[in-house]
Amino acid sequence: MPETRYRVGLLSAMLYTSVSLLASGAFLLATVATGDYTWVARLGGTTWVFLLSMIILMPTVTPWLKRRLPS
Amino acid sequence: MAQKERITIPVSGMHCAACVSKVESALGDVPGVERADANLTAGNAALVCDIDRVDLPEVEKAVRGVGYEVPWERIELLVLGMMGTHCQDAIEKAVGELPGVVRVQVNLGTDSATVEYAGSITSAAQIKRTIRGLGYQVSDKGTGDSTLDREREARQREIRSQLVNLAWATPLALLIMVGTFQSYAVLKDILPDVLNNKYFLFALTTPIILGPARQFFVSSWNGLRRGVTDMNLLYATGIGAAYSIAVINTFWPDAGFGGRDATFYESAALLTWFIVLGRYLEALTRGRTSEAIRKLMRLQPKTARILRDGVELEIPADEVEAGDVCLVRPGESVPVDGVVLEGYSAVDESMITGESLPVEKQAGDTVIGGTINKTGAFRFAARQVGRETALAQIIRFVEDAQATKAPIQKLADVVAGHFILGVHALSLSVFLFWFFVGYDRWFESGSGMIMSPYTLTDVGVFGFALLMSVAVLIISCPCAVGLATPAAIMAGSGIAAEHGILFKGAGAIEAASRIHTVVFDKTGTLTKGEPSVTDVVPAPGVTPDEVLRLAAVIEKNSEHPLGEAIVRGARERGLDLPDAASFEAIPGHGVEASFEGGMLLLGNRKLMAERAIDIETLLAEAERLEHEGKTAMFLAAAADGRVRGLVAVADTIKPGSARAVQELRRLGIGAVMITGDNRRTAEAIARQAGIEAVLAEVLPQDKALEVKRLQAGGRRVAMVGDGINDAPALAQADVGIAMGAGTDVAKETGDVILVKDDLLDVVAAVQTARFTMRRVRQNLTWAFGYNTLTIPIAAGVVYPLIHQIVSPELAALLMALSSLSVTLNSIAMRGWRPPVRRGPDAPGLPAEATAAPERAPAAATGAGS
Repeated sequence: MPETRYRVGLLSAMLYTSVSLLASGAFLLATVATGDYTWVARLGGTTWVFLLSMIILMPTVTPWLKRRLPS
Repeated sequence: MAQKERITIPVSGMHCAACVSKVESALGDVPGVERADANLTAGNAALVCDIDRVDLPEVEKAVRGVGYEVPWERIELLVLGMMGTHCQDAIEKAVGELPGVVRVQVNLGTDSATVEYAGSITSAAQIKRTIRGLGYQVSDKGTGDSTLDREREARQREIRSQLVNLAWATPLALLIMVGTFQSYAVLKDILPDVLNNKYFLFALTTPIILGPARQFFVSSWNGLRRGVTDMNLLYATGIGAAYSIAVINTFWPDAGFGGRDATFYESAALLTWFIVLGRYLEALTRGRTSEAIRKLMRLQPKTARILRDGVELEIPADEVEAGDVCLVRPGESVPVDGVVLEGYSAVDESMITGESLPVEKQAGDTVIGGTINKTGAFRFAARQVGRETALAQIIRFVEDAQATKAPIQKLADVVAGHFILGVHALSLSVFLFWFFVGYDRWFESGSGMIMSPYTLTDVGVFGFALLMSVAVLIISCPCAVGLATPAAIMAGSGIAAEHGILFKGAGAIEAASRIHTVVFDKTGTLTKGEPSVTDVVPAPGVTPDEVLRLAAVIEKNSEHPLGEAIVRGARERGLDLPDAASFEAIPGHGVEASFEGGMLLLGNRKLMAERAIDIETLLAEAERLEHEGKTAMFLAAAADGRVRGLVAVADTIKPGSARAVQELRRLGIGAVMITGDNRRTAEAIARQAGIEAVLAEVLPQDKALEVKRLQAGGRRVAMVGDGINDAPALAQADVGIAMGAGTDVAKETGDVILVKDDLLDVVAAVQTARFTMRRVRQNLTWAFGYNTLTIPIAAGVVYPLIHQIVSPELAALLMALSSLSVTLNSIAMRGWRPPVRRGPDAPGLPAEATAAPERAPAAATGAGS
């Protein structure tokens, strides 16, 4: 049981961190591509997008993986 | 196959529906737990679990793991007779193995034992009995904590903790506020410049973030680690963002976040202050909605005086055993349930049954633990003790009702549970919109913030989009949604219990509020359930009393229910009943007896015809009585062949039946009577009760089918009957109402248990259910309405028109007000009485209790079959 929990925890962390990094990376690219933003705005926005993405994904991914992985 | 049981554990520290989800999720992961339902207002969680598999310390660990506490019941005992560590080990092992015991610690040096346990599984008396069974003397040290004490203690701790936070945050927040406004108008001349110094504001705000606001960061992190979110996360991101911007603009003013003129220290500080104030007020008021259950718990007597081996002893009430003889003096509480052996008194049972007048008690009568003896002294034999007493069962019922969720609450919790994620997603969308689209199109330098001194002159695209995003996070907090249902359900189930109405679960309250039709069982429910004399018709020249006296003399030795009714009727009228010289029953016809030298006959027409008695003079009367559903019996003297009179016997309706039916009709609810009796008798009783729809000649096993047939027509049906005999029909109905449970509350089936045998309580149950659900809907409308209205404003929907944005502190104030209004609306339920219980002088029924449910599919006609 603890092994499964550990596995779920690790896989979840990898998954939501990767997706959040992708989202914030996409934001950064968009700021570069679409407008004349300062680097502070770009990096500040990237951080905020990463933070909110993590908050949205952490409680979504973990239970989803718990359901999918055999106990 | 392991038996699934339902247990309730206390949980403290929950604040919103998201906390509820968090606790439920954590408990759901504990091995052995099948389902967990947490209740915010009651501060507990109901677990459906395999009691042999579930490990209570593991349950506690799971709850603590997500940031909440489990205040178990605790008892401290004085244990005498321990000789060494083996005694200590023996006690710890024996008590520790009791189901429901979480931890036990025996101290040899102080001769004491401290036990923490789940009160819903075991009891202090059980623990003491176990220790006593090992051969030790055991007594209370007087410091044991009941659930009530522990719950109060937990609440007090919460109040104290938030008060300390408030005391910490208030002066600092005021100073920060004053400092922020220092450069405005006359304040500039009065206040020193240092107050508006950004480093000074940083020094004032940081202790607020590290102190009172710390709880939000810790709780949200605990939740996120387990993959669950709660409203603390909204606060943490809101406060964290405001504080971070302020710090950046203070130390790196050229970073592009608005510069030194846009430090949001006052936002971070006031946001914390408002939330802490809201929590403090909520903790103060939340306990008040559970006042009814406290009252019930306070009724539990502490001590009992019993006779053992001829000696009078005073012992704790929970140590009374079945069979003990208890003594009760005037003014004392009855310690447990039992049967009076000797003595006479009047007992106030209002606290259990809602009956306002004291009830007379004499040998053979039952007494209920927790009721108050008024006048005389009496002795009684204990029958139900400990967790089996009516009061203990009632408390369990109310606790269960408060621990379960009404369907409407489940929906609200699901919405609130997903709401937080939705809000974060919305917040992200709002940020992206204002960053990439809105700022360039609509931003105007000099825009204002409602309830904030700042103008947004130097705010860049990131600062502006972030402000909008943070305002959405804070204003969306669904704590009012989480409180809306449990607060009202708790108050409603408490009000009902005070009137002897026990709802089994919150679902029963919701279902009872929506019924269209009430089906009454006839015998024992609408009627008294035993025949009595209704009419005495004398022949010319004979008095009614003489007819009844002679009929009773004949029946005096009869064991037939009709005969017993006649004898009882004569005795009630004070008639003298000498013995008959002989008595003979004539099966299917009647009886004959020899009295005062002559033969008397009492029976039906067949008997009269066989004995050639002329009944012509009373035949019309007999037919009239039979048409009314009564059994008419002729009295005649065999010697002269003359009929002396008629005695009619029938099962009569209870005094409150007709009014109950009438009151239900006023509530828009149709009444149907169901019975196995013949149609003529059934219709006669129905007429007296004012019921038009009659289901007659229905076999007991077919009653459930008739209920199903009514439901098939689209009606929501309540069935009122005897909880044991009508069990299938009660189970089939949308709401099963079991009548007159008395002390056998737990044996009754049905969704609603009426302690008293009074049909007006059916009306009171419906009125209370409707009143409660009306409050639930009001609360939900307010809670969801607040969010629906304020989120678009916070998201900047009206910004292009007014060029004002919602400041984080205004968002926090609105959020706190919404929770408070929901709690106050529920507290306002206290003191309400069902209109039907307000007496004849009651003012007009308020719309809240009398409004009809949604339209019934069809009128209650044509139900007869």
